[in-house]
Amino acid sequence: MSSRIPARWDLEVDVVAVGSGLGSITAALAAHDGGKRVVILDKAPRLGGLCAYGGGEVFVPNSRYMAKIGKQDSDEAARRYFAFLSGGFNEPGLTEKLLATYREAVEYTADQAGVRWEAVDGLDDYYYPDAPGSATGRYLAVEPFDGSQLGDWQSKTWASSPHFPPATHKEMYAWGGLANITKWDYELLGQRVAEDQRTFGPGMMGYFVKAAVVDRKIEAHVGTAVRELITDDDGRVVGVRAEKDGKDFFVRGASGVVLGVGGYDHNKKMAMMHEEAHDWNSATQPYFHGDHLVMGAEIGADTASVPTYNLAMFYGYNIPGEEHDGAPIFRSSWECGCPHAIWVNEAGERFTDESFYKDYQPRVRQWNGRTQTQDNVPPFLIFDTNYRERYPLGSFMPGMDIPEELAVKADTPRELAEKLGIDADGFEKTLARFNEGARDGRDPEFDAGHFSWSNRLAGDPSYPNPNVGVVEKPPFYGVKLSPVGVGINSHGLRTNADAQVLHVRGHAIPGLYAVGISAALLDLGNGYQSGTSNMRAITWGYVAGRHLGGR
Amino acid sequence: MAEVQHTATSTQPIESIWEFVKEIDNWAPMVTGYQEHEKQNENDSTWVLKGDLGSVTRTLKFKVHVTEWAGPERVTFELEGINELMTGKGVFSMSGAGDGDGDGLSEITPPARPGFFARLRDAIVRFFVYKVMGRHESRPPEDRQTSAEPGAVRSELRFSLEISPGGPMGPMINAMVKPALVVAAEDLARDIVARVEAEA
Ligand SMILES: Cc1cc2nc3c(=O)[nH]c(=O)nc-3n(C[C@H](O)[C@H](O)[C@H](O)COP(=O)(O)OP(=O)(O)OC[C@H]3O[C@@H](n4cnc5c(N)ncnc54)[C@H](O)[C@@H]3O)c2cc1C
Repeated sequence: MSSRIPARWDLEVDVVAVGSGLGSITAALAAHDGGKRVVILDKAPRLGGLCAYGGGEVFVPNSRYMAKIGKQDSDEAARRYFAFLSGGFNEPGLTEKLLATYREAVEYTADQAGVRWEAVDGLDDYYYPDAPGSATGRYLAVEPFDGSQLGDWQSKTWASSPHFPPATHKEMYAWGGLANITKWDYELLGQRVAEDQRTFGPGMMGYFVKAAVVDRKIEAHVGTAVRELITDDDGRVVGVRAEKDGKDFFVRGASGVVLGVGGYDHNKKMAMMHEEAHDWNSATQPYFHGDHLVMGAEIGADTASVPTYNLAMFYGYNIPGEEHDGAPIFRSSWECGCPHAIWVNEAGERFTDESFYKDYQPRVRQWNGRTQTQDNVPPFLIFDTNYRERYPLGSFMPGMDIPEELAVKADTPRELAEKLGIDADGFEKTLARFNEGARDGRDPEFDAGHFSWSNRLAGDPSYPNPNVGVVEKPPFYGVKLSPVGVGINSHGLRTNADAQVLHVRGHAIPGLYAVGISAALLDLGNGYQSGTSNMRAITWGYVAGRHLGGR
Repeated sequence: MAEVQHTATSTQPIESIWEFVKEIDNWAPMVTGYQEHEKQNENDSTWVLKGDLGSVTRTLKFKVHVTEWAGPERVTFELEGINELMTGKGVFSMSGAGDGDGDGLSEITPPARPGFFARLRDAIVRFFVYKVMGRHESRPPEDRQTSAEPGAVRSELRFSLEISPGGPMGPMINAMVKPALVVAAEDLARDIVARVEAEA
């Protein structure tokens, strides 16, 4: 056993919540409300975790908020939908507990922690209406959060996300969706920035952080990386060794430690190995190194995984010179969901419905056993001047030059193919075939635009098929894409229905809990869809916090 | 449009400040987020800076064209973004002690003193900027003035900058860059004066 009890603890509490995403913060709240003294430690310089960089969508079937917007649902329908999503790769006991608890957990955050949820009208389940039990209106998001409520913590939280402007879902839809982003009301959004009114993930985490550090006065330390779990002679986790200001910082958690440190997107080696990819980049802040797996391994914690090919691994790019906290930030390419844009592989061929990432993720990774290659890696994003006149590429608005390091430009498809190093004959044939259907808003080959989720999220509602439009107007553009993680990884610590981490010998490790992405996604199985990650983080955080509080 | 201004007072005469300011190479590295600059001629240069925009850091390339060298009192210049839609203008105004007002130096109207909230926001972003630039300490509270001992003041350097982000997102970007500009203006005016004093 590598751990050692220090001669002196720097801080003694009952519960150490490691990380400040939804999982850890909810555990901290529930443990505090169960009478425990809690401390929150985060490696990053700000509180809120990756949750504060995300869309803040929380998938909660049959909630009271759905009823408020007049939508019908049932637990039975939800059960069928989760069974469909899981693809049989889930662990039934964990799924049962998740389904039995998520509503209670989310209502707790509203009633006891003041989180102002509302149902997003018109946002459908990914597979609606095809999948059994699917519905519309199950997504929750928060009302705008006023950052000044955070007092001294205002500057030590993630006030904005590079991935989402400070609009609400309702506004985003009313303004024509992401495809229409150039025509959004930027006067209003400028005002939101100036007044620190937060929406999406930053808004959601504003409420959670306020409930913890302002309302409950839970002690929190940023810039404090937990490096080691400390166990007693019986193998019970009784605290942590963290590093703060370059020095050891020993914190005792007499009742236990909750690991909610997210995944390993910024541990390239670990990510490439576990996600079976030749390269790895990330849309997340640079604080996710798989520390839970390392610290867990040191005390015999078991790990588990769900299939890699169906997780949220996107493809995208880095805008030259764009960084966060010193690391390049990658953006997932939602452009491929807009009309006048497609993906091709090196053979110049399309291989997927680009508008639906659940379709492209497994296909892009497809292994060709005859040639020992991944034929669709790397994918290339292709668009034409129809696209450029209407939609941005990242932060490059229509009318702006796109730097050559990012996008190659050419007057003909053949020239573009040559510049990108893809097969020109294949590419010309692909365009001809695609354009034939696209002229009538159809995609006979891959059925792009089939899902209403894609229509709403990335499509242009002014088109007959919001996700399809011809690619024919010169000049043409091409971007070579790279894999981009969004922090939702396939491997995590194996946990039980009380959110306790299991030892490789099968028993629960006393005093150790894992929540959020740090806990393997066996509750969902093969079924990630947007909002399920935040929902399970809240739920397992709630379960862990209550278990620690003796309930 | 985001406008900022910072005034720093100095114990050195106006001529010493002018001697320093008139040579771009002297103070270019003091600009917040400075990466590099290249002079094409006396009036034209291109610059690369790293600047914060919300939670990300962007690399900004832009052209500077000096429209007036009116030493020892004034240098005015214009900016134009190369990789971002942005235009702007700025002035370094130098004055002797006591004649700071009514000298016609400020072609840019000084912005009204912002309310508490705006100051708070500035302080927040100041934290971010220093983090990005590797300066982990935050500076003393913001007062838009950096002062030498009252009796010793012999001159004043005022730096004013006005930036207009273009494109559809302009109004939002505007709100995002403003707090970083406040810090940048303060740093530049203060650091120039500090260097002139140190070299005196
Ligand atoms: C662009 C984008 C959009 C997204 N949108 C959504 C969405 O709409 N809905 C959804 O459900 N999911 C979404 N996600 C995913 C979602 O954000 C994550 O699944 C979620 O953040 C997981 O939360 P968590 O509890 O695991 O903790 P996280 O939010 O990942 O936070 C973990 C924290 O632990 C800290 N940490 C790491 N190591 C240590 C250490 N050793 N010591 C101390 N602290 C440490 C980190 O700094 C971080 O603050 C999105 C992700 C991205 C990138």
